[in-house]
Amino acid sequence: MSELLAPALPALPTRARMRRTAPAVVSAVAMIIMIAVCASLQPDVLTVAGLSLVLSATVPLVIAAQAQMTLMSVGDIDLGIGNFVGLVTVVSATTLVSSPATGALILLALVAAYAVLGALIHLRRVPSLIATLGASFVWLGLGLFALPTPGGTTPEWLASFGTWQPAGFPAPLLPILAVAAVVYLLTSRSTLGVRMRGLGSNPVALERAGLRPLASRVIAYATAGALGVLSGLVLASQTGGGDVSSASSYSLMTVAAVILGGGSFHGGSAVPWGVAVGGVTLGLVSVVLSLLDVPTNMQSAVQGVIVLAVLAGRVVVGKVLR
Amino acid sequence: MNIRALLSRPWIWGFAAAVLVWLIIVIISGQGGGQTVSLALSLAPYLVVVGLGQMLVITAGPGNIDVSVAPIISLAGFVSVAVTTSTGSAVVGVLAGIGVGVVVALISTVSILGLSVPPIIATLAAGLIASSVTLSLANGFTAVPDAGLRQLLNVRPAGVPLLAVAVAGVTALVIALLRRTIYGRSLIAVGQNRRAAERAGIPVARIIATTYLASGALAGLTGSLLAAYIAPSADLGTRYLLDSVAVVVIGGTLISGGRAVPVGVWGAALFFILLDGLVNLVGWSTAAQNLLKGGLVLLVLFLAGGGDRVAGTPSRFRRRPRPAAATTTTTGDNTHG
Repeated sequence: MSELLAPALPALPTRARMRRTAPAVVSAVAMIIMIAVCASLQPDVLTVAGLSLVLSATVPLVIAAQAQMTLMSVGDIDLGIGNFVGLVTVVSATTLVSSPATGALILLALVAAYAVLGALIHLRRVPSLIATLGASFVWLGLGLFALPTPGGTTPEWLASFGTWQPAGFPAPLLPILAVAAVVYLLTSRSTLGVRMRGLGSNPVALERAGLRPLASRVIAYATAGALGVLSGLVLASQTGGGDVSSASSYSLMTVAAVILGGGSFHGGSAVPWGVAVGGVTLGLVSVVLSLLDVPTNMQSAVQGVIVLAVLAGRVVVGKVLR
Repeated sequence: MNIRALLSRPWIWGFAAAVLVWLIIVIISGQGGGQTVSLALSLAPYLVVVGLGQMLVITAGPGNIDVSVAPIISLAGFVSVAVTTSTGSAVVGVLAGIGVGVVVALISTVSILGLSVPPIIATLAAGLIASSVTLSLANGFTAVPDAGLRQLLNVRPAGVPLLAVAVAGVTALVIALLRRTIYGRSLIAVGQNRRAAERAGIPVARIIATTYLASGALAGLTGSLLAAYIAPSADLGTRYLLDSVAVVVIGGTLISGGRAVPVGVWGAALFFILLDGLVNLVGWSTAAQNLLKGGLVLLVLFLAGGGDRVAGTPSRFRRRPRPAAATTTTTGDNTHG
């Protein structure tokens, strides 16, 4: 809960605050190095169009990572988010095209399903890890049911968002920053956010304070569901179709993004800005590798090594700051 | 043993679900269920072996999970078949597969203990590295699995697969390991309260390292056998990531650590395999298969509830009133330390 005290502290970077932000800073350094490598290989990357191209691939992952972060702030973990995002792309490529009203209702129902899942996890006191794992089979099944093979088309408004190219700034920055800002307001600046983080850090204290932990958990799950839907819509706008397994790697990658951004499994902390940095860093890896002509076979290995290297860097920084 | 005592056993739910699915299969197919059981027993051991490794890891306490089992299985499959072909000995091939699992687990272990990386991230990274190697190996891979080993895996005297008997033996060994050896007792102590275990002088780092290496070795063994039974492929292990975690938890092992239920892994694995059989029998699509699997996992999970997982004590002590603090602690306590 130390974040609550932060505004009362002097604006000077205290040691404690440096320790808190250090993980995100290390990831930010890794991100800047990667952009620099891109730019040195291909100078066009630093233009508006180049940055749009490079960043656009990371947007769905970043938004899904915010969903993961919201659940990790209440001390839970979601291993079903990847298939959930995939299911949303399927819905947006099928029902949302044929009958927009029904499609929108289905998406709302999916958010509600997340809230119900959260409520059941709380009431039946089951571990979120295994419940979301079970739910991931359900999302996958539903997605395969609606669209057995990848395909479909995206609604026009969604497709035009995907190809939107404003002059002056890279378009993908807008969703990344807007979502991070909304999540920041919700988790770090609102009463609801305090309750969610309270649930993560000390559920007993939350209950003794007369607040209902159930409500906090349900709100956290509904938020995660809504962010998952948003991530799926953005992904569909980019791929121009639906594929339930297009995002299956997100389940674990989003966890990595949250950890890179300075989040933890302990619950109680929310790091929306750090997650944006962590997600972009992870997403950029494949861009850098393709510019470096690394064979696609080796991409995941390099991704793994970079995650470990950034975390090793954090250990070193943490030792220095101690 | 009366019904109440039986219901309080943590492993009963997996077996109950397996029996239920088996009954449905018998009713639908209208044939004797013996053959179904025999087939399930020849497929379940692979899931049981990888599940036992996952169970040891999960027992090591909150946050411990091995998500590298799937890439290890795929990689070990290729390596063991390649080594078998080049040396001509299936035993050396299987040993090479186990070795691959240990090497990948070594990367995870060094990251977890040396760099304090959370286990889920460390095993994810190690798994990513393994899957890259798998993809490189898979390019132009021509070797075929050893015919002798495949025959051995298919031997079914009196309908009971030899492999099932062997894996039952492995399960008994794991039970003995957990109950009778210093390592087993230490692992459970670490899972229940890592700090207390540390204060009691248990070499926690060594226990954790051994556990991840054992899980890697078991996943490597699964991959070697599975590649001989089916054929090596890049997504040989894919389904085993979710399934291995699911069978461990449905089997009654505490996800928060400190209680391992090796027998339960068998029940849950049979449940999963029979479920696949049922879906194939009815002729449903993979969509329905996943829906059913997910729905049943959630149903079993929510029915069984997690009320007892807080206490971290064997089930016979469960009747004791729990302290108020413990009952209000929910999934949040997954994540201490």
